[in-house]
Amino acid sequence: MAEVKLVDLEKRYGEFYAVKKQNLIIEDGEFLVLLGPSGCGKTTTMRMIAGLEEISSGDVRIAGESVANKPPKDRDIAMVFQNYGLYPHMTVRQNIAYPLKLRGVRREDRDRQVQLTADKVELGQLLERRPSELSGGQRQRVALARAIVRTPKLFLMDEPLSNLDAKLRVTMRAELKHLHHELGVTTVYVTHDQMEAMTLATRIAVMREGEIVQLDTPKKIYDQPVDLFVAGFIGSPSMNLIDGRVESGEFQADGVRVPVNAPDRESVVMGVRPEDLTILENTAAEIQGKLYALELTGDSTLVTLKAGNSSICARGPAEFEAEIDTLCHISIKPGARVHLFDEKTGRRIDE
Amino acid sequence: MRNQILWLVERALLLVISGIVIFPITWMFLTAFKQPRDAYSLSLDFTPTIQNFITVFSEPWNLGDMVFNSVVVAVVTVAISVPCASLAAYSFSRFRVRGRKFLFFLILSTQFIPAVVIVLPFFLMFRSLGLLDTRIALIIVNLAIVTPFVIWMIKGFIDAIPVDSEEAAMIDGASRLRVIKDIVLPMAAPGILTSAIFCFILTWNEFLFALILSRSDAVTLPVGLVSFRTERGDLWELMSAAGVMITVPIFVMALFIQKHFTRGMTAGAVK
Repeated sequence: MAEVKLVDLEKRYGEFYAVKKQNLIIEDGEFLVLLGPSGCGKTTTMRMIAGLEEISSGDVRIAGESVANKPPKDRDIAMVFQNYGLYPHMTVRQNIAYPLKLRGVRREDRDRQVQLTADKVELGQLLERRPSELSGGQRQRVALARAIVRTPKLFLMDEPLSNLDAKLRVTMRAELKHLHHELGVTTVYVTHDQMEAMTLATRIAVMREGEIVQLDTPKKIYDQPVDLFVAGFIGSPSMNLIDGRVESGEFQADGVRVPVNAPDRESVVMGVRPEDLTILENTAAEIQGKLYALELTGDSTLVTLKAGNSSICARGPAEFEAEIDTLCHISIKPGARVHLFDEKTGRRIDE
Repeated sequence: MRNQILWLVERALLLVISGIVIFPITWMFLTAFKQPRDAYSLSLDFTPTIQNFITVFSEPWNLGDMVFNSVVVAVVTVAISVPCASLAAYSFSRFRVRGRKFLFFLILSTQFIPAVVIVLPFFLMFRSLGLLDTRIALIIVNLAIVTPFVIWMIKGFIDAIPVDSEEAAMIDGASRLRVIKDIVLPMAAPGILTSAIFCFILTWNEFLFALILSRSDAVTLPVGLVSFRTERGDLWELMSAAGVMITVPIFVMALFIQKHFTRGMTAGAVK
């Protein structure tokens, strides 16, 4: 267990910056998620922490000690790979025991620890099989067991769930969360799935083009995105972003009039989440437009309206029904968060 | 109906081609068991004898010495070339070093040089070193011929191994050499074995250099074959018996390759 510190960490490929001057402190026992679209530098950052990628400049410190010039084997870390990275010529038992074997743990101790770990991830019955005889979920468990069979200073997980089917992903997510709670080891987790990030993280670092855009708790990132990028990236369905302007205490766009507490201003983007909106059929409200689509999700209906050039999505009751193209109204729930962003810079405008 | 005709045509063609390929080999095997007077007859009706094999292994032919030379040259060549080539191939496959492509091309380009061009320099070199007509000279020459080819071949196999498992092993606590020993070699084993056998076959059949660089002590089997063309004419039945001795080990190995080549070792590593 340890604190991890990135100091001005950079990765350059010629003129291209994959990771730009990154400074980040990952606290002891924390579950930090690096979140971002593909190519944002999140995996590169993690691989530099692991020592699999050379550092262009800057430093990585694990438990106060610089590891920039140490090979991966001397960093006392464990990692779960997206493609599992199992040893196909070894049995499950040998796979899990390999980190122990390399550290010279005696055979009897090894067997005991392997059995214990395997039981923890429900692989106890499969120890003599080979990876090729396992399903995707089981392979992922082997990779996980190999990581937790000893207690390293730091866990690194590189999109470990992205090769699993949707249902298994949800189960494994809960298991990962429980495991982190049980072991309490500092964990860095890379994903492009905002749902995984929201559910697992103690803090999320949203990355874009090699830089951290926002670093905060999932709740804070959800409730107070610092810019348009974060606002659009977090949440499913994603936040409604409407182009307009602020005039005499009101945000205005085609079919949209929302009272806001902000000075007059041109080129403003208003953001409001679908779950903060309710759909009204006959009463006039802040937003009006023609019904564009209805999607029943089971517990609710996603209603999309066309108001001027923008389409606005609201989460309505499951029973809601209406004809396409009828005029509908959407009102903003009391106490809902309405976010304003500058259209040019994308930055949040604080009230 | 059409499919059936195609099937028939396909089989017929395969039969014809197999016949063309197999016939001379079969004829050689038959001739090896014929008595001298039957050697030129086209009849299949003869009394088989193993006298030819006894003759070639005794004075003055001494095929046993040549078998020994061939085995030593081929085995030592493989034993040196394959481990070196494996490490070289791994480096070419995994390390992004400046000039890597050029170096790899350079190694391959040695294969473009016609052997006849360099056989004389080799002869002069070994003469001044006093290594003419020794097995060491043949091993050195064969290493030079075979190693680039084996590097090239093994690199293909190592390229096909996903890097993930190696990276996992490095994080698990293995050094680079340990990764090669524990992860890469076992996974590349079928490929390396296949390469080793190709290497053996190439060396085993090598003729030109062996002919020029050996006289009596280091003569290998392919060169030995020529000695059956005597002033008394070509001794076909003895040549065939020696030919059988050359061919059989290769046949056995070909069978071996087939068995191992089809077995994929990388299944289950990723995804």
